[in-house]
Formats: sequence, C-alpha cells, structure tokens
Amino acid sequence: MNPKTNRTTPLVRRVRAFFAPVDRGTGVPTIFDAAQNGRFAIDAPPTPWIDLGWCEGFRRTNAEGSNTGVSALRTGTPAITTGQVRTELESTVEIEFATWGKLQMALSCGSQQMNLLETAGASTSNGSGGTAASASSLVPGSTASSLQMSDTTVFMSGDLVSVDLDYTGQTGYVGSGVSGAYVRSAMDVGGDTNYIRRISLNVSRVVEVKDGALRLETPLLAGVPVEGMKVSRLVGFVDREGGSFFQEWSGLFVMQGEQGDRVIYHYPRLQTLRGAMEKRETLAAPLDRIRLAGAFRALPVTDANDGERILCFRSYLPA
Amino acid sequence: MQRAKDTFYITLRDRIALLNPARTVLVRGAIRPGVLVEENELAVAYPLVNAFRLRWTTLSLSPEGTLPMAKMRCEIHYATAGNPGNGGMDRGRLMAAMDTELAGALNTSPQNAAKTDYAATNGPQVLGTNVFWGDVEFGALAVVGEQLQRTATVDVYSYQEVGEL
Repeated sequence: MNPKTNRTTPLVRRVRAFFAPVDRGTGVPTIFDAAQNGRFAIDAPPTPWIDLGWCEGFRRTNAEGSNTGVSALRTGTPAITTGQVRTELESTVEIEFATWGKLQMALSCGSQQMNLLETAGASTSNGSGGTAASASSLVPGSTASSLQMSDTTVFMSGDLVSVDLDYTGQTGYVGSGVSGAYVRSAMDVGGDTNYIRRISLNVSRVVEVKDGALRLETPLLAGVPVEGMKVSRLVGFVDREGGSFFQEWSGLFVMQGEQGDRVIYHYPRLQTLRGAMEKRETLAAPLDRIRLAGAFRALPVTDANDGERILCFRSYLPA
Repeated sequence: MQRAKDTFYITLRDRIALLNPARTVLVRGAIRPGVLVEENELAVAYPLVNAFRLRWTTLSLSPEGTLPMAKMRCEIHYATAGNPGNGGMDRGRLMAAMDTELAGALNTSPQNAAKTDYAATNGPQVLGTNVFWGDVEFGALAVVGEQLQRTATVDVYSYQEVGEL
C-alpha cells in the first residue's frame, strides 16, 4: 500500500501499556525509539519496558475547552491573524488498567504506594501497616528470579515479598529499581529499618521454596539483588489520599492494528494529576468489575534531533 | 469476500487441529480436522457430530473509506451425543471440551490472519490485507434427543480489495 495515503484506517481492539522507570535522582527518563524497536512483539517488550497489561479508556488531551495552547498573532486595524504562537504546552493522558498489581496501583494511586509488611506480633495499629517483622537476609548467589536465603523456614509458596535495602538514614529518593518515595529527613520515617522495603516496588511472589532458595514468579524490577538487601513478607498494598510524593514513569501505549499496522504513544515522563480513582463496570448484576483509573500529566523532554521540548511522541507504523 | 471466508475457515481449522489433533471427521472417505463449511459440502439430513460446522449468514458492506469493509456473520454449529462407550453420559464433558477449543481458537490473540487466495492456480497467494474477527459468542445449549447442541457466532471482517470477488 501507498504509505503516503494508506487506504485503511487503524482498527484496534485495546491499548497495551508498558512501564519503564525514570531515574528520579538525575531526572533521566527511559526513551523508547520506535525506529529501532517499534515492531517489538507485544508480549515481549524490549528491556527495560515492563508490561502493564491491556488498558481501556485510553484518552489523551492537549487542550482544554477553547484553550488549545495555540494563540493567534493579530496585527493591524482591523486586526487580522498574521501568524500563530504556542503559548502553552499541556498534555494529559487517561487510562483504566484492566488488571490490578503493584505497578498499576503505584502509578495510578496519585501518591506514594506502600507494601503492607507483615507485622511483628501485636504491633501498634497503623493505617499503612504497623511495625514490620524482622527481614530475612540474603546470601550470595541470588538472581533477579531466585533468592538465596540463609533460612527459608518462614517462607511458603504463594508469599508476596519485598526485597530491598535496610533504611539507615538515607535521604532523597529511595527504593531500588524504581524510586518509591522521597525522604526529606530520617526523622520523618522514625528510623524504621524496614522503611525502604515498605515503599519498594521491588516485589514479587514466591512460587517455590526449595534448596534454601525462593523462586520468584516474576523477576525483580531492580534485577540481581545487591549486597545488603533483605526480604520482607507482605500481605498486600496500600496507598493513601494525601501525601506529597509524585510517582514518575516513562509510559508507552501501543495500539495494535488488525492489518499489522501499529500506533505508539510514548510519554517519556508522566506524573499523576489526581488522586486514586476506580471505575466500576457491571459484569452481570450484582457483579461489578473494578478498574484502576489513572490520569497523568506529561512532563517535557528534549528531542536530541532538533532540541525541541516534547511531551509525547506518536509513531505510526503502517502495515 | 470468498477469500475472507476461506481464510477464516482455514485459520479456524488449523487452530482447532493444533489444540486437539484428535478432533477429526470422516468426510467422503477422507479423515479431516473436525471443522467444515456447510456450503462447501454435500447437503445431509443428519449433520456430523463432534465437529464444528460453519454457516455464513448475514453480510453487510461499509462503503466508508477507499476499501469497502465487509462484515460477515459466521454461525458455528456443533453437537455431541457423548461417547457410546460411556453410554453418552460424558456428553456434557465433550461439549465443554468443544466450547473450550472454540474459545481457544477464536478468542486468542492474534484475532486476525493474512487474507489468502486459496483458489489461486499457483497455490495459496497472500493478499494485501488481513481478515479479523471479534470474540465468539456462545448461544444457549439445546438438548435434542440424546444430543447436546450449541450454536456460536462470530463476526468476521475484511477489506474488499480492488478486483476481489
């Protein structure tokens, strides 16, 4: 077909979302190069992109009402538009995640997302989890998918675990692989040794306990555990309305056309623009399906090809 | 449109054969995968059981765009009386197996296939567009004598390419 005037329109079913971390310390996002990787297999995204699953309700906006961000430049009497100027750059995107998971919740919750670490006996009740039980140490030889432990007796197949460093007074962005929180001062977190594992996105599920190792269902986001990381069991996840932290991520949204064509939206830097929300969809009364609804505002990056400040890249790969 | 129908049939036939190689039927002396198109076979009074029978029904054409888009509804009829060795008491299980196979063949990604001219004199020729389809919808189970019968439907779409029959 003639790529200049293609005779078909993209016909798509759903949108597939992918996540990659932004290095919060340096502010460097993950850039997706559609020229190199645009045709990747939808179930096998290129490293370091992580599959967030199918999404519904993908909607992007770059204007609000009559404010399109483009203003007319008028001169003369009577005034006549002789040119145009960009007065504002604004881009937002909304999606509904079809599945719930740590990543989807962390991105859409609007603030910090925490792990409900297993508590140490009868600890004082706290909304985001009481004092956590002692973490278990790793021994050398662990990989991103297998944790070598000195003692595995407290773990069972099916356990959820958080794998990260002890909190020892660090300030700034914390959390391995993906920054999960920003610590202004050690006093704020009360010297909680388990704080980083509490906010870490470096989580997985144990599928087998064998030969002194925990085999994980999915590889850890941060890759091979570094020295000093420990393992805490968790019972679930919690996010809060309030808080001051903005999660930031690089987003990729792929619409796979039925003719083999593909539309790709790449937002190098996305931050949430509202608090946690859910969308209810009636499956068959009285059953409702609850989708995680996220709304994000794009932040700019500089395109190395021409130095332009860009919020979103839309690529079209014809069939 | 005929090429789209042929492509859908061949795709479904091959996928069913992959999911369950044992699902075969004897037709005019030949053992084939258990998927056939009624309009391509001899009319019979007693349709085959334990096989999927495709029947094309409604057709609509959307003239929007340079290439018209055809939407064709395909009914997929299937029935089972169970295994005689079990006195037919496994007919529910066999029907569930057929439901699962059909869902696996049609609802699994990719839900499209390159449109192919299977009647070309030089052998199958791949054309320029894809045939694609929606999710299969299962009708109510009917009990007819000793048989369980079901009709599933799926809408199949294709672009009508220039010069295509």
